[in-house]
Order: sequence, then structure tokens, then C-alpha cells
Amino acid sequence: MIETHDVRKQFGSIQALDGVSFTARDGQITALLGPNGAGKTTLLRTLVGMLRRDHGSIAVDGIDPERDPYTVRANIGFLTDQFGLYERLSTREYLTYFGQLNGMASADLHRRIDEVSAMLDMGEILERRSKGFSQGQRIKVALARALLHRPRHLLLDEPTRGLDVMSTRAVRQALATLRSEGCCVVMATHVMQEVSHLCDDVIVIAKGHTVAQGSPQQLCQRTGIANLEDAFVSLVGTDEGIVA
Amino acid sequence: MKPVKRTSKFLVVFLKEIRETLRDKRAVGMLAMFTLMYPIMFGFILHQTIDRATRTEREGIELAVIGGAQAPTLMSQLKQKNITVQNLAPSGEDAIAELLRSKKVAAVLRLPEKFTENYQAMRPAQIELWFDSATDQDRRRRDVEDVLKAYNANIASARLLAHGVSPATLAPIDLQRYDTGTNAARSAGMIGSLLGFLFFPAFMCGMAAAVDSTAGERERRSLEVLMAQPIRTWELVGGKWLAAGLLAVTGITLELILAHIGLSWLPLEEIGMTWRMSWSDLALLCLVSVPLSLFAASVQIAVAMNAKSFKEAQSVLSFILFVPMLPGLAVSLLELKTATWMYAVPMLSNQTLMREIAKGGELGALPFVLTFACSAVCALALLVFSSWRMKSERYVLAV
Repeated sequence: MIETHDVRKQFGSIQALDGVSFTARDGQITALLGPNGAGKTTLLRTLVGMLRRDHGSIAVDGIDPERDPYTVRANIGFLTDQFGLYERLSTREYLTYFGQLNGMASADLHRRIDEVSAMLDMGEILERRSKGFSQGQRIKVALARALLHRPRHLLLDEPTRGLDVMSTRAVRQALATLRSEGCCVVMATHVMQEVSHLCDDVIVIAKGHTVAQGSPQQLCQRTGIANLEDAFVSLVGTDEGIVA
Repeated sequence: MKPVKRTSKFLVVFLKEIRETLRDKRAVGMLAMFTLMYPIMFGFILHQTIDRATRTEREGIELAVIGGAQAPTLMSQLKQKNITVQNLAPSGEDAIAELLRSKKVAAVLRLPEKFTENYQAMRPAQIELWFDSATDQDRRRRDVEDVLKAYNANIASARLLAHGVSPATLAPIDLQRYDTGTNAARSAGMIGSLLGFLFFPAFMCGMAAAVDSTAGERERRSLEVLMAQPIRTWELVGGKWLAAGLLAVTGITLELILAHIGLSWLPLEEIGMTWRMSWSDLALLCLVSVPLSLFAASVQIAVAMNAKSFKEAQSVLSFILFVPMLPGLAVSLLELKTATWMYAVPMLSNQTLMREIAKGGELGALPFVLTFACSAVCALALLVFSSWRMKSERYVLAV
């Protein structure tokens, strides 16, 4: 479970986060919705303790990432907007590297690589070096890396961007499996269809603060708009009078 | 949660960087070039220098003469001075210029046909000396001129004597030149400063790895992912540093061994230099030079991690690479005597130490300890700086 309360962060004169509060529960997929520049990347980096907040509190399973970033990170699978593959390493070597960095023992690591590879259907690229991988193959490898150490939490920045239909379905399938295993998944996305089909909870942030949290249905009810996309636009555009 | 194994994560990063670098053709090529090509090129230059410096003493002077039969005494005097005379058929200006350009002879001496006639009539008999000032045959030409002057003076004395005048009246002073410098001594100075460049590969062999694992990762946008892992920045920086450092250590050690073989084989004594280094001296030198490679790697990591791309890092580093060479060049230009402080400057200390060992004197432990320590301290300081820098928020935002 990830809990944040009134998190603020300022870079010079820019207020990147201006009061973000939400709760992402275990066994749920929580969507992080917000226009470009709303502060999503800053928020995710703050959650893993790469950036220090100026104000407010964050607890990942009760642990503050600022106090103990290594324990928190060991418990989080982080997929940023960059895949971060190494062209001179094969997929298996790449996964082994990150598994070892997360302190996994060798036997367990081998077993887990096969598991993750089966889950994401990437058997044919496992022994290949990542040079020349397609967008879909790259994102699968990166996702496999994020899932490898069985984190209780997943922070995913647009995990289905650039994927074809089959790969998108594979990723959604994988996320649904993880949810059923009790994972706490937080997913930044712009695909409304994905939100309404997959997500249990939605956090809407705009201009650095939370403007709403609730299930897709609740957000539609609250705004009185049936279509989630229109509801989102209305929430972001008129940020007055809505209490998260 | 398992307890975090710190050393193992450091090693994980280290092993991954080594594996990745060894798969990088550019990095391996650079390593091979500086460990193999560098000593070979170096040996070749030294060999040429020694050869050129000692050639005069070995081979004497080659002189082409046209019409030499007219002055047999002059010819025999030339031969006495170790000047080899080649008799040439009368030839024109162009043929002489061509001969000089081929550098087969130091100069061409031409006695015109009227030489005997003028000589017998006691008129100044013309002799032409042809030479090419663009070639470095200057000293040899001067030797030939000295013989001509002596020949001139001898004849003048004989003629004066025949008229009952003492030849001494024509020589109020008697100039004697003593040149204590030899060709060999001149090139020894140059070779001494060339030897300093033997340590340059310490800064080249690990560079590709250092740049690729920092600026390269940043350019390929994989550094952010890495920094979000449960790993301390010193483990990350340290692993990358040790990988680059180990390559540099390997490179410089192999290179020094090859250079040692070459220098033991070259006839350095002929130019008044010595290479009195035993294999155990060499082992000790390589050992105390290990921190120099690690220092080089730490400089490269500290600089490259702040560059946004491989190219940017490379161009900044190519300037910085020459900085460690400067103290050595300054010392050799100012002709400073070896002093203890020189052992406290990375690079200069290694160069000085090698020169002193090669001379074969007793050094004591202090130079070795200082050489080892000064680079080691600088390397660790830069490592701490890089770790601190990577942790800083400003760096995270720039990645």
C-alpha cells in the first residue's frame, strides 16, 4: 500500500508538486491520470526516494522512502518512460543483472526469469541481445525487469505505449494476474479505455496536486458526465470545488 | 527481506561493466592499440633515434669529389680524417643537386679543370663545395671544410717557408675547438622525456569503459533505471570505476612489460643512457603504478558522468587527458633535478620513479610509497566526490 499526504516539491520557482494526497491499495490497479507536465514523473521519482519532498508524508507499506530508500526500492518495480536496456547484453543477462542488484539468489533468479518470461511470452528474445528489438519487445523486457524481484508494488509509467494489440493484451493480462496476487499497481497512462477496463481506482492530478480520487464510475458520477474522458477533462479544467 | 549484501552489489556492477566493455569493439580496440601498438611504435622511434645519433661515429663521412686527381695531397688528408672519397665523373649542377638530395653524400667537392694551372702559377685556385643546407649534414660539411682549411694553411706555410718567412707570422692566434657535446648526449635528453609518455596509456585504456558506463548510460537513458534500484550510489560509481580502472591497470602493465623487453634490447648505452631495470624492479614499478590507472579512471568517471552524451564526454576528456602530462613536461623543460616533491604528484611521480630506477641507483622506500599513495588518495577523493554528485537531486533531475 502506498499512502501520500500533501506532498509538495519545488524546483526553483516552479512548484512541481503542490499537495498530492492519495492512497493506492494492495490488490488494486490504480491509474494516475494527468495532462503532460502535471507532475507525474516527479511524483514517481519522489515515491522511490530519488527526489526529496519539501513537505508532506509518503509511506510505502509504512516505510518512508526518504528514510530508507533501499528497502522501499527493493519492494517496488519501477518502469519509467525510458526502458534502459543494454544493447550488448542478452535479455537473460540483463534480467540477471537487475535481479542481482535486487539481492536475488542465483537459483531463485533463474527460476524467476523463466516465470516472468513465460508470463510475458518472451521466450524467443530471452537469449538475444537487445540491439534491434522492436518497441514491444523492449517494453516487455523492461516490464520483466520491473516484475523480476516480486515487488509488492509496481510503479508503471505508460506501460502500453507503442504496443501492438497482442502485446497490449499480454501486458494487461499480466497486470490483472499481479493484481490477483495482491500487488499494488500504480500506472500512469493516457489511454482512457485502459483505465475504464483495467483500473479499480483513479487518481487525477493537475498542476501538481490531486484533484480527484475514486473508481471510474465514481468519477463519472461526481462530475455528472457519463464518459470517463469527458469527466477527466472536466476535472482537470475546473479544479475548483472538487475535494479528493 | 534479506540482508543487503553491499560488497556483492558492487561486484555485480563491476562484472556487468567488464562484460559489456569486452563486447564493445571500440573499447577493446583502444586497449589493444595502447598495449601493443604503443610500445612497438615507441621502440621503433627510439631505434631510429639511436641509429641516427650513432651513425656519424660509425660510418664516417661520405664525400663526392670531381677532379680529385688534381690534388692528391688533399685527397690523402681527407682520408686521414675518416672521410670516404668517391670519385665522380665531371657532372653538371643538376646532377650534383640530385646527388645531394639523395643524402648519399654529405657534400660534393668540385675542382675545376684550371685548378692545377692556377695552383702552379700560385694564383688562388678555386675549389667548389656543394652542399644542401636543408638536410641535416651540417656537422659533416663543417668537418670537410676544416680539412680544406688545414690543407690551405699547410700550403701557405710551405710557400712562406720557401720565401724565408716563418709561417707563424700568419697565425697570430691558434684556435682550438673542443666540443664536449655529442650527438648521443643530445638525443639522450629527448629520449628521457619520451620515456615519460610510457605512462600515458593509463589514461587511455580505461577511457572507453569509463565514458560508456556513465555518459553512455545517460545518453541511452538507462542510468535513471539503474539509480532507482536498491543500490547505494558509491556501489554504482565504485563498480563502474573499478571496471574502467582494471582495464587501465591491465593495459599499462602489459605495455610496461613490452616496453621493458624493448628497452633492454635496444643499445641505449651507445647514447649514454641506461636501462638498469630488473624484472623485480619492473614488478614493483607496475605495482606502485596501479593507483595511477585507478586515478585516471576516477577522473574519467567524475567528468564523464556530468556529460550528456558519449561524444561530449570524450571531447571534454581529450583536453583533460593532457593535464597529467604537464608536470612531467615542465620538469624536463626546466631541467629540474629530481626532488622528493616530484613523487607526490600523480604521473610525474611514476615518470620520475621509472627514470631513477633505470639509472640504477639506490632509492629507498619513500619514493615508492609516495608514488602509490598520491594517486590512491586522489582516486578515492574523486570517487567520494562522484558518489556524492550522483546522489544529489540536481543530478537526478538532469539524468
